[in-house]
Amino acid sequence: MTWLAEWAAYLPQMMSGLGVSLLIAGVSIVAGYPLGLLLSLMVSTKNLAIRTLGLAVVEIGRGAPALVILYLFYYGLPKFGIAFESITAACLALIWNAAAYSSEIMRAGIQSVPRGQLEASSALGLAQHHTFFRVVLPQGMRSAIPGLMGVAIQMFQGTSLAYAIAVPELMKSAYNIGSQDFNYLQIFTLAGLCYAVISMPATWITVFFEKRMARHT
Amino acid sequence: MTLAQIADGQLAPRLGIKLDNISKRYGDHVVLDDVSLHVEPGTVTALIGPSGAGKSTFLRCINLLERPDSGTIQVAQHTIQPGKDVNSRDLAALRRTVGMVFQSFNLFPHMSALKNISFPQQKVLGRSKEEADERSMQLLERVGLKDKAHQHPSRCSGGQQQRIAIARALALNPGIMLFDEPTSALDPEVGLEVLAVMRELAADGMTMIVVTHEMQFARDVSDTLVVMADCRIIEQGDPRAIMSDPQETRTRRFLRAVLER
Repeated sequence: MTWLAEWAAYLPQMMSGLGVSLLIAGVSIVAGYPLGLLLSLMVSTKNLAIRTLGLAVVEIGRGAPALVILYLFYYGLPKFGIAFESITAACLALIWNAAAYSSEIMRAGIQSVPRGQLEASSALGLAQHHTFFRVVLPQGMRSAIPGLMGVAIQMFQGTSLAYAIAVPELMKSAYNIGSQDFNYLQIFTLAGLCYAVISMPATWITVFFEKRMARHT
Repeated sequence: MTLAQIADGQLAPRLGIKLDNISKRYGDHVVLDDVSLHVEPGTVTALIGPSGAGKSTFLRCINLLERPDSGTIQVAQHTIQPGKDVNSRDLAALRRTVGMVFQSFNLFPHMSALKNISFPQQKVLGRSKEEADERSMQLLERVGLKDKAHQHPSRCSGGQQQRIAIARALALNPGIMLFDEPTSALDPEVGLEVLAVMRELAADGMTMIVVTHEMQFARDVSDTLVVMADCRIIEQGDPRAIMSDPQETRTRRFLRAVLER
């Protein structure tokens, strides 16, 4: 019972941290996914220079841990006179992360569209941009949805890394509270619950979508 | 109003097509060896032959879904030499003139039946949504699927999907229709409803080239029967004459296999 009473007292501060976490996750998804689509197109193009550039951005984003990229943005770039606020640096690093992971999922989705769809479009005489945006992309995105939702959950949990550069997100709030009273067990349990309360329903929704899509194809 | 009149809009000219010396190879593997075919306006040509003979490849060369290595295609006032660079205007004209129906229908699964037929009209012919929808509904009614207009393809049977696909192609006023084994993916009974639509189209005078294994359809409906084997046309002419008295042993062997089963 004492835990519950203490949790209730901590909750306002925790909620403001959760708000910051959700904001960072939201920004990284809203900006990262369109960028991911762009990258997936760059990687699929015939132009060698564009493809190489796209590949480099994707592979660095997926190959390097998000924390490394976060540190590079926050501690590394000031060396070139580019300094960000901690929350901006966190957003940029996670945008890169989200773009890199989502681009591969979108590329796979787009490639999964059957060849016959392209042939029908050609035979009808549809222009290339109509074929892509009205025929291929809607179908490719549809099959990418479960994967993209999975990445969104990862991004939300990944916001905890921003703690490392003192962004006042959920982990930072928890740590601050913990260091006042040294009741780390209680506070980090609460933090874990806060993450779970968002992530678990999101996972259920993802599974629901996966099942629904399996039924329709 | 007949199917073809709807397909024509008002008075689209019947078109013929001339294919000369079409060759196609994948690496060392020859798939079409100097194939020529002249199709008169308003006639039905049935392409038959054993699998691997190159029938489908040849059909797909007609609207350049496959790019032949050499040869010429003459349709309307356009002469296209696919071995050389084909400019986009000629390609667009060719695709606009020639409609195609696939074995696997290839309807757009994320669009309703109506949208499947209207969307290409809007984008390719620049029709307004109202014009396009009106026309789509006429065509859907003719193929007996007016009540399916707002269903997605996954809610339709194979035969219904194929009829929607035929309507989609007709909506663009093609002068020539290509059919690539339109009933091969269907149950025999369901195939009949598709063949009925094709018979009606033929009776209305549409120029048609049909790759098929439906021998009865080939005999009864086509004006010219073309037999392909080993990447070439080995025999062509009146379907009844060829079926009752084939000149080539290869034709005889093939016909015996498909007719006497």
